[in-house]
Amino acid sequence: MSGYDRALSVFSPDGHVFQVEYALEAVKRGTAAVGVKGKDVVILGCEKRSALKLQDPRITPSKICKLDTHVSLAFAGLNADARILVDKARVEAQSHRLTVEDPVSVEYISRYIAGVQQRYTQSGGVRPFGISTLIVGFDPNDKVPKLYQTEPSGIYNAWKANAIGKSSKTVRDFLEKNYEEDMDKAATIRLAIKSLLEVVQTGAKNIEIAILSADNPTEVLSTETIAEYVAEIEEEKEAEAKKQKPSRD
Amino acid sequence: MSNPQEINGGSCVAMVGKDCVAIACDLRMGSQGLGVSNDFEKVFNYGDNVYLGLTGLATDVQTLHEVFREKTNLYKMAEERQIEPETFANLVSSTLYEKRFGPYFVGPIVAGINSKTEKPFICGFDLIGCIDFAKDFIVSGTASDMLYGMCESLWQPDLEPEDLFNTCSQALMCAMDRDPLGGWGAIVWIITKDKVVKKLLKTRQD
Amino acid sequence: MDIVLGLRIKGGVLVATSKAATRGISVIKVGDDKTRELNPNTLMAYTGEAGDTVQFAEYIMANTRLYGIRHDIELSPSAVASFTRNQLAKALRSRKPYQVNVLIAGFDPKTEKPTLNLIDYLASNVELPYAAHGYAAYYTMSLLDRHWKEGMTQEEGVVLMRMCIKELQTRLPVDFKGVYVKVVDKDGIRDVSALVYPDEYPEAEVTEELEVQQGEIAA
Repeated sequence: MSGYDRALSVFSPDGHVFQVEYALEAVKRGTAAVGVKGKDVVILGCEKRSALKLQDPRITPSKICKLDTHVSLAFAGLNADARILVDKARVEAQSHRLTVEDPVSVEYISRYIAGVQQRYTQSGGVRPFGISTLIVGFDPNDKVPKLYQTEPSGIYNAWKANAIGKSSKTVRDFLEKNYEEDMDKAATIRLAIKSLLEVVQTGAKNIEIAILSADNPTEVLSTETIAEYVAEIEEEKEAEAKKQKPSRD
Repeated sequence: MSNPQEINGGSCVAMVGKDCVAIACDLRMGSQGLGVSNDFEKVFNYGDNVYLGLTGLATDVQTLHEVFREKTNLYKMAEERQIEPETFANLVSSTLYEKRFGPYFVGPIVAGINSKTEKPFICGFDLIGCIDFAKDFIVSGTASDMLYGMCESLWQPDLEPEDLFNTCSQALMCAMDRDPLGGWGAIVWIITKDKVVKKLLKTRQD
Repeated sequence: MDIVLGLRIKGGVLVATSKAATRGISVIKVGDDKTRELNPNTLMAYTGEAGDTVQFAEYIMANTRLYGIRHDIELSPSAVASFTRNQLAKALRSRKPYQVNVLIAGFDPKTEKPTLNLIDYLASNVELPYAAHGYAAYYTMSLLDRHWKEGMTQEEGVVLMRMCIKELQTRLPVDFKGVYVKVVDKDGIRDVSALVYPDEYPEAEVTEELEVQQGEIAA
């Protein structure tokens, strides 16, 4: 112990705030989440932790949460911390409607969430939120999909596609290789699922997908539909593998 | 409008009989002269053997009902038994006095039978919780003056449940006929040691 | 002199609110909507002190919607009415009470029952088949006592509503500039003013008049 991780509000001599970096470790241990923007949709995908035998998957809380009618959030990291942050965001979303008669923009609520996360890196007696978030949705009177990411330090960025949580680097590399501009809905869903399959071994039953489009911000894919996509992707992979085999000998 | 206890109108009466008690209320809720509801009960029960009649400002009737429901439920969990009428009377008194300098504008009456001693119990309160114990009858509400007169002339000791029901109903109905802020139907509860009967009286609807 | 009037029909509730917004002796708006959608199946209609009304209604709306988002299930209309009553009761014994009277019209999708709650600024809450606040109550209650029937259809409800509005137009000393009529039923909340005013709806007339006046000034 260097002593510089005792209190949150103390810098180490080389400019680190260790508690924030530990929070990032917690994020890395959380199950993966991915966000992908298409032409007029945006997809949130999650790895679902495989349920214990006696757990009821129907009523166990999801990692994808609605913040308002037009904005959703997925997180990676400590579930319990996320609940608090999500609740703060929901209250802010309604409070914003009440005071200025407009729903929040995706940028606004991302900035708000990042602001809360930042506050918890600089005040005494608290510890940072051990979560990163992906925030997706549509601004009021707009059809352009939005995707933002926040981190425990309070940083927030806009993305075309990104991943957080366990093995997020693998998923991000995959997205970087395979992302195309202006994808239609099906292609976007496929890319999101395909990227998750890079790190989710157990297939469809451990994947959760939410689709947001400007006119329907609350579509959730059933396990069966995800399984269809997964089967299709596997088939494709096999076909590709076969194609490569003859060339080898 | 100056007297909050007379904005919404309504009356209650409780009587003691032989091993039984009766408690009754009218059903009107109005806004001064205008009748608003003919389905506004003013007698509530907390457990099997404790009944509370609440007249006065309708909002405080509703608030206090919610307060006593909470307090008696907590009592039941802490004590693992239901509250007795005497205990409940003191709970009402202390709850009202808590608001001594900004009172609830109500006139509560309690009726019940003690489950241990099997003795009938009734009492009334003023709006800040002063208890008025009685052996015969208790009245409250916008027809209280008329109810006093009716009860004084109709009530007699040791009435059987059926006779007590008749006496109580007649006292309330006749008193209501002279009260422009009450009436519109009535509810009468007859409480004996092991039986409780709730009756609806269809009365004059003007 | 605002009108807030509601009546229960088969599978729904009709609510009428006057369109005039007045300050003192002046009418300052002719298309004022005195209702707020608290959630997809609950409507609040309000009258009272200017400023308090909208502030209060929107506060209740924000909290009801927050509940819907937080719990992924909407509050029932009777639960919304209890919450509203509680907020008014709390305000009543504060330094400055809200002077707001409301009707809560709703359709509970779970019990499939329509309900209408009348709550005044004192926070007395009653569930009723038909209800009105203020002077409108004095003129319409007798009509509703006579003609309202359990299980009326929407068409019959609209006819009765039209009778009430006609009576109000006859008896009230001021012009309340007509009413908006909304229905709350299993399909949510809809504006049905056109059914009550078949001849003079929509508001095309009003805008036309304004344009002419502005044209005259310009000339």
